[in-house]
Amino acid sequence: MTLVIDGLRKRFGDVQALEEVTFAIRPGEVYGFLGANGAGKTTTMRIMLGFLKPDAGTVTWMGQPARTWPRKTWGYMPEERGLYLRMPVLEQLVYYASLYGVPRGVARKAAIDWLARFRIAEFADRKAESLSKGNQQKVQYIATILHDPDVILMDEPFAGLDPVNVALLKSAFVEMRDRGKTLVFSTHQLDQAEELCDSVAIIDQGRIVTAGPTRDVKRSTGHQVVRFATAGDGDLAWLRSLSHVTVTRPGNDYTELRVDTGSDPQAVLRAAMARGADVLRFEVADPSLEEVFVERVGKLDVEERTLAAAQDRS
Amino acid sequence: MSTISNIGAVARREFTVRVRTRSYIFATLLVIVGVAVIAFVPVIIRYIDRGDTEQVAVYVGPSDLGTDPVTTLTMLLNAPTDTGQASEPERPDFAVTRVTDLAAARQDVVDGTFTALLGIERLASGELDFTLFTDANAAGRTAALVRQASNTIAFADRLDRLGIAPSDQATLFGPASFGVQWPDPARTEPIRDTVAMVGRDILAFGMTVLIFMIILMYGTWIAMSVVEEKSSRVMEVVLNAATPFQLLAGKVFGVGAVALTQYAAIVLVGGAALLAQGPVASAVLGEAGTATALPEGLTIELLLLFGVYGVLGFLLYASLYAAAGSLVSRQEDVNTVVLPMTLLSTGGYLIGIYAATGLLDIRAGWIVVLSQVPFVSPFMMLGRIATGVAAPWEVVVSVGLLVVFIGGALWLAARIYAAGVLLYGQRPSLRAIVRLVRVGM
Repeated sequence: MTLVIDGLRKRFGDVQALEEVTFAIRPGEVYGFLGANGAGKTTTMRIMLGFLKPDAGTVTWMGQPARTWPRKTWGYMPEERGLYLRMPVLEQLVYYASLYGVPRGVARKAAIDWLARFRIAEFADRKAESLSKGNQQKVQYIATILHDPDVILMDEPFAGLDPVNVALLKSAFVEMRDRGKTLVFSTHQLDQAEELCDSVAIIDQGRIVTAGPTRDVKRSTGHQVVRFATAGDGDLAWLRSLSHVTVTRPGNDYTELRVDTGSDPQAVLRAAMARGADVLRFEVADPSLEEVFVERVGKLDVEERTLAAAQDRS
Repeated sequence: MSTISNIGAVARREFTVRVRTRSYIFATLLVIVGVAVIAFVPVIIRYIDRGDTEQVAVYVGPSDLGTDPVTTLTMLLNAPTDTGQASEPERPDFAVTRVTDLAAARQDVVDGTFTALLGIERLASGELDFTLFTDANAAGRTAALVRQASNTIAFADRLDRLGIAPSDQATLFGPASFGVQWPDPARTEPIRDTVAMVGRDILAFGMTVLIFMIILMYGTWIAMSVVEEKSSRVMEVVLNAATPFQLLAGKVFGVGAVALTQYAAIVLVGGAALLAQGPVASAVLGEAGTATALPEGLTIELLLLFGVYGVLGFLLYASLYAAAGSLVSRQEDVNTVVLPMTLLSTGGYLIGIYAATGLLDIRAGWIVVLSQVPFVSPFMMLGRIATGVAAPWEVVVSVGLLVVFIGGALWLAARIYAAGVLLYGQRPSLRAIVRLVRVGM
């Protein structure tokens, strides 16, 4: 009863875009697909939707090959936003929905509702080209979900949005999840993923590095993070002398420490008490997704691999 | 969603979006006005010409002429010519007046009372001598007509002097018995006269030009619209909802419907204008309604075949234009990538036109073979049918081949399209295209 991506491989000319991509998405969860540019996110999504044929591997939804499900099962928001620029907003929303078999009247009503929710109702009869980038993106999102798909795939949905619109979009995500929809989105903004996703997969150079519930992924590094602060400008040099502890982020407000796997974070607190320090803050947490990512993949903004160029050559 | 309804939805969008653009409406109106004006040209010319009766004076020196030159001139100057119609009796082209004072009449021509004065004298040799006094062109229409009429008067005068009675002269000048027959004794249907044949040829020629224009213009349009969807990146949005084949077919049918609408408007307006000519002419010119007929040679059969070859030719080329458009991602590259189709259609068109107009032998074996080739047949068969050299089976075979090829072209185009629409950046090489068609994307 899941969306299973099993052993995908795909080569464009002399670039191996996907080496081995396997992960599973449970129905009704919000799934984050994380990776740097060129890691293979878009290619994987295009294969999941049947735009591209994999060299090997399968995609199944509820046990059936994904391609055999009706098209209206899927909603897709591509990374490159696209609208008919010279076509009025409402008219093109109705058009997209009609391709999925939604009656025009129903689509029209639903589209008007969504436009109002996104506070762009007054643009319904305006041409798409007259809208700002952020508003075009909202229209794009409505186009993705207007036919009420069960699985919604979005490629970098937050890219280029201001904080207000990010919040609007997030609340729309949560609403879709509450309606029982399965949401998959790719992003390289790891804080967004951390906030929204029940599960994540990290992809690098065409391989899944790690995948699973967000909590498990965060714990997969084995170490924990301690955020620690004492009263006064205490000399914290003693922290460095503790075994299995590394200072990762010395700061004014608090100091962040990494406690190696198998060591007890409480040892830090005990050591502080022993020194008579006035502890203001002591917090044990899992590492952030960003830390996991950096540890597993390296720097986030790794040089973009030229997948597009490879596709041209093929 | 079913294939048919998706093709319908795509075609519907293509059609409505295009038909309401200002440039399309403007172009269509312009063409419609043009067609109406051209259709009304005969009425307009007659309106301008009306009441334009030329006053011609005749001075007859000798008194021994057997027939009155005034009668002869009036009849001959107003006689129907092979280029125009006879002038109406109540408003003749020429009015001929007899004058008795040559010098005064010459002054009248100078003053403009008469446009010309014909002086007739008898020479010492007995021959008549004609002199035309006019400010108008010596080689003009009036001068030419008067010269012809003068010849006739001179002939009649010579025959008079030879003693042949005027009643016998009519027999003498009667036309010879002359007939035209088919070279093939087996052919029994009545031979077509010049007007019908020329009419049919010109019609077939015009229809071929129209088919060529539709294919070239709207084919490029389709390629442009594919590239527009790619460059605006809307392609991936619709690709999730509809298959490449549905998108391709919808585009071809939608733009095809735009083309059909435009040409239907032209044909309707043109037809209505032709039919309205009689009533309009009588209203404007105040005459009894002149009978107006459809152009000579315009048969239901020819019109029907025009539709068949036009539509099939468009479908064949349009699907390839769409496939070509999917291979590039910028508008600037469209012209390059559609070049093969443009060359192919232009070549077929030129051969078709040359064959129809006699520059190439329309019965030559290679022309017959070529006129069956689907990419060429829409440009050749109408001409061959109009000139009557195409057997019915040839028509059937060429239409059948076209249908088969359209199926193949749609299949090939959908394969290219499916791979091409996700292709961004540089134009792929021919080898890459072949590979895409073979294995897909």
